[in-house]
Amino acid sequence: MGFRRLLAVAMGLSLLATACGDSGSDEAGSGGGRFVYANPFPISDLDPSSAFSSENVVLQNVYETLTTYNPPGASDLVSGALAESWEANDDATVWTFNLREGVTFHDGAALTAQAVVDSLQRTIDLDLGAAFILLPIDSMEAVDDLTVQFNLAYPAPMDLVMSSNYGVYIMSPEAVSQDDAWFNEGNEAGTGPYTISSFTPGESTVLTQYEDYWGGWTDGQIAEAEIQLVEDPVLAEQLVRGGDADFTYNLPFDSYDALSSEDGLTVVRAQSMTNLFGLLNHERLSPEVREAMVLSFPYDDVVESLYGGESSRAQGIVPQAVWGSSDSLTLPETDLARAAELISAAGAEGTEVTYSFDAGTTEQQQIGEVWKTNLADIGIDLVLDPLTFDARWEIAQADPANAQDVFTMFWFPTFVTPYDFLFSLFHSEDAPFFNLGYYSNPEFDTLIDDGDAVSGLSPDEAADLFTKAQQILIEDNAAVFMLDVPNTEVISSDVEGHVANPAYANVVRFYNLTR
Amino acid sequence: MRYLLRRLVTSLVVVLGVVTITFITSRLVPSDPASLYAGPRARPEQVERVRQELNLDAPVVNQYASYLTDLATGDLGVSFATRRSIAADLVQFLPATLELALLATGLSMLIGIPLGVIAAGRRGARTGSKASKARRQRSDAGIRLFAVTSVSVPVFWTALLFQMIFAGELDLLPLSGRTSSSVSFREWTGFFLIDSVLSGSPSNVWDVIKHLMLPVAVMAAYPLGLTIRLIRGSMLEVLGEPFIEAARLAGIDERTVMYRLALKNALAPALTILGLTFAYSVSSAFLVEAVFNWPGIGRYLTDAIVRIDFPVITAAALVITVIYVVVNLGLDLLQVRLDPRVELD
Repeated sequence: MGFRRLLAVAMGLSLLATACGDSGSDEAGSGGGRFVYANPFPISDLDPSSAFSSENVVLQNVYETLTTYNPPGASDLVSGALAESWEANDDATVWTFNLREGVTFHDGAALTAQAVVDSLQRTIDLDLGAAFILLPIDSMEAVDDLTVQFNLAYPAPMDLVMSSNYGVYIMSPEAVSQDDAWFNEGNEAGTGPYTISSFTPGESTVLTQYEDYWGGWTDGQIAEAEIQLVEDPVLAEQLVRGGDADFTYNLPFDSYDALSSEDGLTVVRAQSMTNLFGLLNHERLSPEVREAMVLSFPYDDVVESLYGGESSRAQGIVPQAVWGSSDSLTLPETDLARAAELISAAGAEGTEVTYSFDAGTTEQQQIGEVWKTNLADIGIDLVLDPLTFDARWEIAQADPANAQDVFTMFWFPTFVTPYDFLFSLFHSEDAPFFNLGYYSNPEFDTLIDDGDAVSGLSPDEAADLFTKAQQILIEDNAAVFMLDVPNTEVISSDVEGHVANPAYANVVRFYNLTR
Repeated sequence: MRYLLRRLVTSLVVVLGVVTITFITSRLVPSDPASLYAGPRARPEQVERVRQELNLDAPVVNQYASYLTDLATGDLGVSFATRRSIAADLVQFLPATLELALLATGLSMLIGIPLGVIAAGRRGARTGSKASKARRQRSDAGIRLFAVTSVSVPVFWTALLFQMIFAGELDLLPLSGRTSSSVSFREWTGFFLIDSVLSGSPSNVWDVIKHLMLPVAVMAAYPLGLTIRLIRGSMLEVLGEPFIEAARLAGIDERTVMYRLALKNALAPALTILGLTFAYSVSSAFLVEAVFNWPGIGRYLTDAIVRIDFPVITAAALVITVIYVVVNLGLDLLQVRLDPRVELD
């Protein structure tokens, strides 16, 4: 081939880009019944017994649980899903759930009480992910075809447990005997409104309507939904702007204002059940230094400068979106003068305090830097110590006396209860697990254990006990309660029916949508 | 044959070395694979059970021995994060990256070699008026500037710029992905260009080509600049050789001198480095894959690194090493074909 011809071919190829016709933008997310969800996190595990991450975006549409947690503002905490009704005995140790009739799994099998027992037993036997929420169960039995009874080893709110995002999905008897490889090839057998029609790991999951869904179908509902992995937030933003995707989240916060004025897009600003806090090491820090740390924290600055100003100051350890949270707690305010007095009285000037945070997590780092300035003013040197979570968790668990002084972390509940926060982070422990401030207070332990015992029967009574417990934490300066993380999403304006439920953050229930 | 055998043995040593280093490094990183497998809030007893199940409680030497035994049988293990077979994942992700890298390398050579030759020819212009020589040297400078720009501009920046222009402003090409949502065909090879042709549907082929254009163009930028610079430099060296002078004095036309005599001799030394840019493209594909949402091995590996998913990291390092080794070996053999002066020793 002559040189000129070669060059012509090369130039032709490079110019081909400008010569082509229509773009791909018309093909994605169109057709009325199709919905494209740009998912910033990969679907790692489709096994409903062990999945414990963002795959609930898929699982919540394919499988169902016995109950579902209601969005804020509802009169009841939970509603029935596969269970139509339920009752507990007087001490919440025996729970009976009555199942919905006429429900079938995607493989055609009928929903039975035995299928419920077997599904939950599979989670217990695998003992992975969120299996620990089923620890209260001593035994389960199928009383009849549509009645399941849980006998508990100790009182627990099973109506709330059964609304969890993880570990309590019900699957067909055929699926119960399958291993995780079977599920992770894209197979499933739930009762949900959608089936998985294709699963390409690291790329996309396509869901299509299950025709025999017990809830029935009407015109205008989403016929097909694609959950597409889009890890780059800039690309995700471009996709929703261009109409190639109908939903996304986890964008930079300064994008949302611009997107809210964009035609065809709606920005949904909602609460989340995730919060951010710093546990103070009770083995290393004296009460005076802990109080000074709490009083030196720049609460207002942090709320204003992070998350585009959309977060809210934490009202204790239980986020405001969780039932049983309280807005009547007496919270500390930033008071550098008082903090300096405490440090001076304790003779702690010049003390070095380590601040352990997740490497690469901007929010935690920014907080550390702002706080460091305040602490320097009162004579404390805050040393920022970024590591991977695993590495710092290992250090924190090894020896409290030589561990970090402040352990910063995010937390969300595995099922919605204040007890999840209070127990995991502050209940006395023989060996450190997640109580990484090494706090121990028998009075506090009793209050929250009592609250948990009654939370299934009397949430109001439980909430009072949890509020008292939270006030004790504040008075003991057990931690610095920083902020409740906001949850902001973008959705196509031509879609109706999406409700941002903080209990299932970023889950879109495609069945509820119409276009 | 003896040479080939010797090279294969040294290649195996290289691969084993990389596998060993990756394995040891993965065990030194302060992270617990058993915790990753058991889940983020697993209780200590859960983690301990998983540790036993995965043989992670055995001495590191035993773990290494059993890893090598599995490797010898082609078993790359399962991902601790997804519990999927790594071999199956690689079969899915590797072709996507190879398709990009092959096309990008091919495109860069197709454009870069002629441009390198032109630049060298213009630089060494010996005939024509003073003004014509100056003009030719300006075009050499222009091509060199283009080459330096191609090599220097960060890939992610070019990618975003191309997306903004071709997908955003002009709306000519798709923003991301390998195909449109509406397009589907059987994946025989994982190379969508081939698979779409096999599907027999021109619209499928066109859809795949449209999706390839931007990522291929972006990925080709670096090897293109490198090709131009290497070919130009190599050509200038060859053009100064006495046999070129002799050919010109013998009255052989300039095009034959440039492409038949000079380029053939200039290509061989440049080829080694150009070939390695292909392997480099595979190992550095993650930026292009991230921006274009391309489900390739680069993104697979970065996800694994973020999660500290050791088996995946080790397997991906192994695959990339094998690609480097195979490309290197292939290039050495190709050089012998191109340049009779090179001997296998």
